[in-house]
Amino acid sequence: MRPLRVLIGTLGLDQHEVGAIAVARQLRDAGMEVVYLGRFNLPPAIVKAAVDETVDVIGLSCHSWEYLYYVDELLGLLRERGLDIPVVLGGSVITAADARALEAKGVAATFGPTTVAEEIPEAIRRLGAARAG
Amino acid sequence: MARRGSDAEASMTQGQSHSGIPLKPVYTPADTAGLDYAVRLGDPGTYPYTRGRRPASAGGGGWIQHELSGEGAARRSNEQFRYLIAHGATGVDVIGDTPTMAWLDPDHPTARHAIGTQGVSVCHLGDYRDLYEGLPLDRITLSHSLPAPFAIAGLYLVARERGVDPAGLRGSTIQVPFYCEDCSYATHMPFALRLRLAADSIEFAAREMPRFHAFLEDTYYISDGGLDAVEEMALGFVEIRYLVRELLRRGVAIDRFAPRIAILVNCRMDVFEEIAKIRATRRIFARMMRDEFGARDPRSLAVNVTSHTSGLTLTAQQPVNNIVRGAVQALALALAGVQAIEISAFDEAFRTPSPEAHLVALRTQQTIQVETGVTKVADPLGGAYYVEALTDEMERRIVELAARIEAKGDPGALCDGGWFRTLFQNAMERHARELREGRLGQVGVNVHRMAEADDTLLREVAERKFEPCRERVDELRELRRARDAERVRATLGELRRVAAAKTGSLMTPLVAAFAAGATMGEITGVMRMGYGVPYDPLGHTEAPV
Repeated sequence: MRPLRVLIGTLGLDQHEVGAIAVARQLRDAGMEVVYLGRFNLPPAIVKAAVDETVDVIGLSCHSWEYLYYVDELLGLLRERGLDIPVVLGGSVITAADARALEAKGVAATFGPTTVAEEIPEAIRRLGAARAG
Repeated sequence: MARRGSDAEASMTQGQSHSGIPLKPVYTPADTAGLDYAVRLGDPGTYPYTRGRRPASAGGGGWIQHELSGEGAARRSNEQFRYLIAHGATGVDVIGDTPTMAWLDPDHPTARHAIGTQGVSVCHLGDYRDLYEGLPLDRITLSHSLPAPFAIAGLYLVARERGVDPAGLRGSTIQVPFYCEDCSYATHMPFALRLRLAADSIEFAAREMPRFHAFLEDTYYISDGGLDAVEEMALGFVEIRYLVRELLRRGVAIDRFAPRIAILVNCRMDVFEEIAKIRATRRIFARMMRDEFGARDPRSLAVNVTSHTSGLTLTAQQPVNNIVRGAVQALALALAGVQAIEISAFDEAFRTPSPEAHLVALRTQQTIQVETGVTKVADPLGGAYYVEALTDEMERRIVELAARIEAKGDPGALCDGGWFRTLFQNAMERHARELREGRLGQVGVNVHRMAEADDTLLREVAERKFEPCRERVDELRELRRARDAERVRATLGELRRVAAAKTGSLMTPLVAAFAAGATMGEITGVMRMGYGVPYDPLGHTEAPV
């Protein structure tokens, strides 16, 4: 079985990369393949990279409020193209109320400031397995 | 050792400072036995300025009290300044939103959801007019975390329009040519252009605005990426030394610009290490300026230290605790004798400061100043066994690390080659691991946690959001339509020519283009073209010339 492939990046002009880098390393340590897209991505570029790189999960690090607006566009593009790649969001600015709203929209999982780091690879593994199954 | 509580608590009792300096349980006269007062300390206001840049005065000391502001369009930020000044702030400290800090206009396709949400959106001269509207420019200190050439051009042009002599302007602007691409301020300009813009704008200000600190070395932002206090200052000194050499190479005399070099430092929770860092920094700077660069003016030797308390130490959990962290760090900064303080506000983990958070931060500074009496005596910790031993050790480690970095080769080449990027990434990862493994204790995060349902105090204020200022896009379209297109084209063309020539000051054509109504995004784009890189680094927009 090939290892789980996860895309990691940030949206728009959100330049805070600490979380994205830390999570990317953590996922690699957990045996996953990380396609690291870095900063300055708009939803079409994320969808294109996800398809080109045949990733199993899209993970976006959010440390500005931009994601609140980009998430709709991203989920819309995925639906339009009939892609069922789960999208997960993580970052200190994601409040409990944001998390509920995002999950209602179709975001597969969110990791806010109170998340224990070990939860992230676990949750991503579960999402990947559910999709493969 | 008795185990107390969790692992995180226990870890904090281990005998080393945050940056890893081994600590003794107690310090005694033996630790300062070799300390030669005249050589290593000196009275406040005398070489090597360890004890402070200014002489002790009967009235006691004090500092400029300001709070980082910036939200929405310039008019909204101007209201914030006035609010803070009305409540006793003695300076303005403004930061740009993410498009502004990326030197992009708000109508860039990547900017629309980020306009004015994490700072002020400023991209043309009219914005600077709005930003300073009604402020007494000749009587207030204006600190800028904005792209330096534009902060200088904007302030200079607005002052002249209002009949204020630029020679009297006070304040500062950060210069971040080295580390910006890797630390949250990516400009997508080649290093050579970034360095030239820094040196050109420092030279311009030294001539036109001689009281303005156009050379503010910002070690705060690199440190808040996770570097420790030794790394923070070592990288800072690498950048300062490189820029000083560049200015000397151009034939600018050291005493023409060195009096207006300042350093913006971070202050985290290991307060004695931070105090020692600041005292050591003053000493290292004085020695470097006198012995390495031959400065003679005493003002060139005594560096101005300004400060922000650390955003990285603030937590989304139990946000009220951030008020305490800000107070502890600000007290440390007051004890270290800095020239200005900004307290990162309690809602820092969520947003740029709300009015409530601004006021609490300002009141914290005022309480320390008015009620504690810590400013009555200069360098009150001077001579303490621990503080002097730690100051010596910080100095030794900072100097040694800076030398080790410089020995790796030309720092400019290291910068372009991504060497610093790796350093920052490792530091970020190290910080995350220290928190995860509990080696760095943080109340509410890895110790003394609280159920989410109970963690409500100040949460509503901290989590309040507001919409991006998207009307800026239409305003900008109108501005571009109404301006003198021919004058804009001509000035941008000249700027591109000077950029491509790789010689002559960029500030003259940059100020002319800005005065003609060209925007920051356009001006930056044509300078990029002059250096053979795309007008729009993200590949969305076309050059206007």
